[in-house]
Amino acid sequence: MLDQSPAKQRVWLNRKLLFAGVILAVAVGFLIYNAMDGSAAFYMTVSEIESEGTNLHGQKVRVGGDVVDGSIVRGDIGEEIRFDVTDGTSEISMVYDGDVPDIFADHAEVIATGTMGPDGVFVAEELLTKCPSRFESDEGVSD
Amino acid sequence: MAQIGQGILTLALAMAILGIGLSIVGERRRIPELANSGLRALIGVTVLLILAAAVLMLSFVNHDFSLAYVSGRSSTDMPLQYVITAFYGGQAGSLLLWSMVAGILASIAFYRNRARFPRLVPYATATTLAVLSFLIFMLVVVATPFAVNHITPAEGRGLNPLLRDPGMMIHPPMLLSGFASFTVPFSIVVAALITGRMGSEWLKFIRNWALISWGILSAGIFLGGWWAYHVLGWGGYWAWDPVENVSVLPWFTVTAFIHSIIVQERRGMLRVWNVGLILASFVLSIMGTFIVRSGLISSVHAFALSDIGPYFLGFFVTTMVISIGLIIYRLPLMRATGGVESAASREAGFLLNNLLFVAIAFATLWGTLYPLVTEAVRGTAITVGIPFYNQVNGPMLLALLFLMGIGPLFAWRTTARDALIRATGIPLGVSIIAIVVILFLFGQPMAALGIGAAIFAAGAVVVEYYRGVRLRQKNAGDSVPVAIFRLARRDPRRYGGYIVHLGVALIAVGIIGSWFFQSERQVIVAPGETVDLAGYSITYDGLSTKQNADNSEVTANVTISEDGNEEARLGAKRFFYRGFEDQPTTRVAVTTVGFDDVYVMLLEWTDDQRANLRIFVNPLVTWIWAGGALYLFGMIVLAWPAPAVQPVRAAAPAKQGGMLGEPAS
Repeated sequence: MLDQSPAKQRVWLNRKLLFAGVILAVAVGFLIYNAMDGSAAFYMTVSEIESEGTNLHGQKVRVGGDVVDGSIVRGDIGEEIRFDVTDGTSEISMVYDGDVPDIFADHAEVIATGTMGPDGVFVAEELLTKCPSRFESDEGVSD
Repeated sequence: MAQIGQGILTLALAMAILGIGLSIVGERRRIPELANSGLRALIGVTVLLILAAAVLMLSFVNHDFSLAYVSGRSSTDMPLQYVITAFYGGQAGSLLLWSMVAGILASIAFYRNRARFPRLVPYATATTLAVLSFLIFMLVVVATPFAVNHITPAEGRGLNPLLRDPGMMIHPPMLLSGFASFTVPFSIVVAALITGRMGSEWLKFIRNWALISWGILSAGIFLGGWWAYHVLGWGGYWAWDPVENVSVLPWFTVTAFIHSIIVQERRGMLRVWNVGLILASFVLSIMGTFIVRSGLISSVHAFALSDIGPYFLGFFVTTMVISIGLIIYRLPLMRATGGVESAASREAGFLLNNLLFVAIAFATLWGTLYPLVTEAVRGTAITVGIPFYNQVNGPMLLALLFLMGIGPLFAWRTTARDALIRATGIPLGVSIIAIVVILFLFGQPMAALGIGAAIFAAGAVVVEYYRGVRLRQKNAGDSVPVAIFRLARRDPRRYGGYIVHLGVALIAVGIIGSWFFQSERQVIVAPGETVDLAGYSITYDGLSTKQNADNSEVTANVTISEDGNEEARLGAKRFFYRGFEDQPTTRVAVTTVGFDDVYVMLLEWTDDQRANLRIFVNPLVTWIWAGGALYLFGMIVLAWPAPAVQPVRAAAPAKQGGMLGEPAS
């Protein structure tokens, strides 16, 4: 058993190990493929959403842009908030009913995930402000 | 100050480039004096980097707002500790810290080992100096911390409020140091590849330094989770955010390495694989530094705007090409001398462990880079969310947990069936009972399996310690505590490693508990109202406000009670920092009652004192922090230098075939 020749060992190594590796790779590939279905969302700009219009109805979309100055309308506490988001050329209205992130304000760069409603208002299920791990907010801002 | 700082960095760049030349020529021509000068150049560069950092720190402490970097992220009303934190609150300071840590660690590693590994040290020195040259070039030309304001402002902007937290004082430098520390193992591997000395020499050299990198990075990741839980205020500690993903990627590969290196030492297998893992860890830590600082992922279109992006991409590609090229060039020297003989063997277990770690790393990388790939291929970026990572990595992490329970009980080469059954019987029995009980009580199959696997993994640690202690009692007559202490001292890698395993099992229980059994409620309450959640009563006692030096705070006062007994009075706070008034920073109120965390967050409030509160009851989160502490303790045991005497091999588990064929060390 211990004096097996290197050649024999390599055969073992090649056959069964390769087989196990392939099975594992296939399993991982399947897991990834399977999980992509449920959680993938299109990342679009505001302009792209506008030009797509009603084609997007019901499709989960992630959109990034800046909050339009003065557009935030807060209701009573616990009620949904409404605001507009722009990418510099186009604007869309959004409604969001959830926790407002710390850095949410006029000009804040937001990433919203949700669906386009039939009335042309984007219903955000998740609202993120620009990743807090980037602390370079002061650089490149001239005003 | 600006000229002094810039001058020091420029000098450091010149010295680094000179040092590369000295090291390489010294080694190629076999002129030890020259190679030693190269090493001295590395130490010189490190001293200069420390000086540059000191100059920058001094500018912060003195509020020297003529420097753009200082005025951009500090102000006179900030407490001193946050003025110091502001040092790495931006790109330039972070890169300076990175280079300094890499320089310090490399200087220690190469100076201490210059006589032990005389052929490897010169090329390792040259590699580190090449990495440092790039970073110092960035610091001098592209992202300099010593840029001067045209007009010196009277007051600085202040630090981003999210960074004004005690956790932020240690988490980012720890994570950056973790990334930076991979320079040392990387340099050692490159030196081994260049010189073609692919035997056991570089393994002995790299072992401790890979452990140190793994330790620093682990600590950085833990602190990040702790900070997210206590400050970011969404009730969790990990969200598979791109920034978190890139920090954990090198952790996956280096954790794989510290396991697979044992296989190479014992059986001479996985040679190419091990070299690849170290190179991958370094490349991934460069990517981590680069993505965290450039915003490549979080805002997809910012890439072209980021001034350091293209440079880093160039460095990244160069490193990859050289690494892969060197591996291919040295492939003939990396033939395996042994093979796997049985699926029930320690080496097969390690192999599966490695495949799983690398598969998890791959899936995580895939999810993180998917928006970039789809943007390039289809023109539209597609992102994946938390469910993707849970569905893909969840099962693989579960498999790893199970493997952690069975792997240590396998013997090298092959394991006798009877011995294996004897060893695994009790832990397996206990974990099956636990699975059945959890299924019966809560009916969550994934949670039950996970906790069962964690118990099984902890069981293996107990079995291994029990055997070791029994053997010492019999052979040396030690008492139980003495035996445990001596086991850990004689064979720290093995018995320290088991402590880490135990820590991981605790962490796993904590993650599973808080993920599957979290309760959450959002309520609008008037003062005096009480809310019930998961057996706790949370009474809202009204708002209070307070003015601090650099902020004003709003506090929602709450009383937490269980079964009529008052457990804690807490304040869920929001801070308004000067200059960041539209960014009310959260400070959650957390209290631990038994195994549960009651976690209250203030969302909104009105003038008539009504408050919108989000309340979580997170079971077992404290186990994560306890497991983390145990993990860190195990790490210290593991890295503590073993006594010089050859360790007496304690109870080899379920072994068949004796010590035959094992290398004489």
